[in-house]
Amino acid sequence: MKSLFKIKLIIIPTLIIVSFLIGIFVAVSNINSSVQNNEFSIKNGNWIVNPNMDLQNNFQRAYVSRIGVFALDEKEAIYFLSSKDNMGKNLSSDFDYEITGNPPAGRYWSYTLYGEDYYLVNNKTDVYTINKENFEKNYPITISSSRKNSNWLPSGNEKQFHITLRLYNPDKEVYINLDSIELPLIKRIEK
Amino acid sequence: MKKIFFYLLFLLLMSFVSYQLTINYIPKLVYEVFHYKIEKNQNIKDNEIKHFDIPSDQSRDVVMPNPDFLYSVSFYDLSKKDLNLKGNMPDSTYWSVSFYKPNTINWYVKNDQEFNTNKLDLKLSLNNNLKENTIQSPVEKGFMIIRILVEKKDKESIDYYKSLQKSIVIK
Repeated sequence: MKSLFKIKLIIIPTLIIVSFLIGIFVAVSNINSSVQNNEFSIKNGNWIVNPNMDLQNNFQRAYVSRIGVFALDEKEAIYFLSSKDNMGKNLSSDFDYEITGNPPAGRYWSYTLYGEDYYLVNNKTDVYTINKENFEKNYPITISSSRKNSNWLPSGNEKQFHITLRLYNPDKEVYINLDSIELPLIKRIEK
Repeated sequence: MKKIFFYLLFLLLMSFVSYQLTINYIPKLVYEVFHYKIEKNQNIKDNEIKHFDIPSDQSRDVVMPNPDFLYSVSFYDLSKKDLNLKGNMPDSTYWSVSFYKPNTINWYVKNDQEFNTNKLDLKLSLNNNLKENTIQSPVEKGFMIIRILVEKKDKESIDYYKSLQKSIVIK
């Protein structure tokens, strides 16, 4: 009887510890997998957007907290993110790119490059964005590791980078048609 | 055999509980880590405001910062008193005030066009006293961000916006 009690004394706490570890592991894996697959994101070409700040459940809240905290709701700002060019290849400083087409209508827009770690791309020129204010009309936006004369977004030495198109106070037609609205293309060009 | 079935059922149930707790806790954990980092790195306490410079490639406080913005942030705690937020804001560029719950959900945002004035004067309270400039917080503790768009990056513009940013106080 005593030995049976002793066995239970070992088994029950062990089961509790193991089950908690399993629960944590499965939860973190599920969230990471959802993030990798952009499960709750709206896809439009090679851009993805996460407008659903009106979150329905704890899983979506956990998902959003992993992909970007302290964002604004869709009427205030929309964040389009792309990690691929128009051919579906990862964006890399080994290549140059041109952004063609106009951003959707809104009060203010900007393009920003982030490294693989989602921090701003390291560059000596302190140029991090092309936006509505510094954009030179009649010239394309060029992403390159080497200096360009106009509308240059430095890609530094990032083997893989991401680009965000931010739109502040977008027109209503934009945020109700996120999956179909025409978005700019990121084309790989000769270096 | 019965015992093994019982143990398996117990394992399954406890794993499910642990799964739900983890999912529920992830946003809070993200917030707590952020709170700890900012408190430690920027030496800021609750109900104090921290004015950040325009983000650069050296900024590591939060991922994907917008390099067009000056950010002012505060972790608020309304358990002891209401808070007043005051400041002189720009009159010709985008700026906004937003509040977040500790699970990182944005529960309030208002921009310059909606404020209709460049004199920021808000009261943050747990109670709704029906005054026009009072915001009723759904949570005792949370996070606030004030964003000021800096369109032109010349020194004169940056200094001007920074001087306005510095006028923002929380009491």
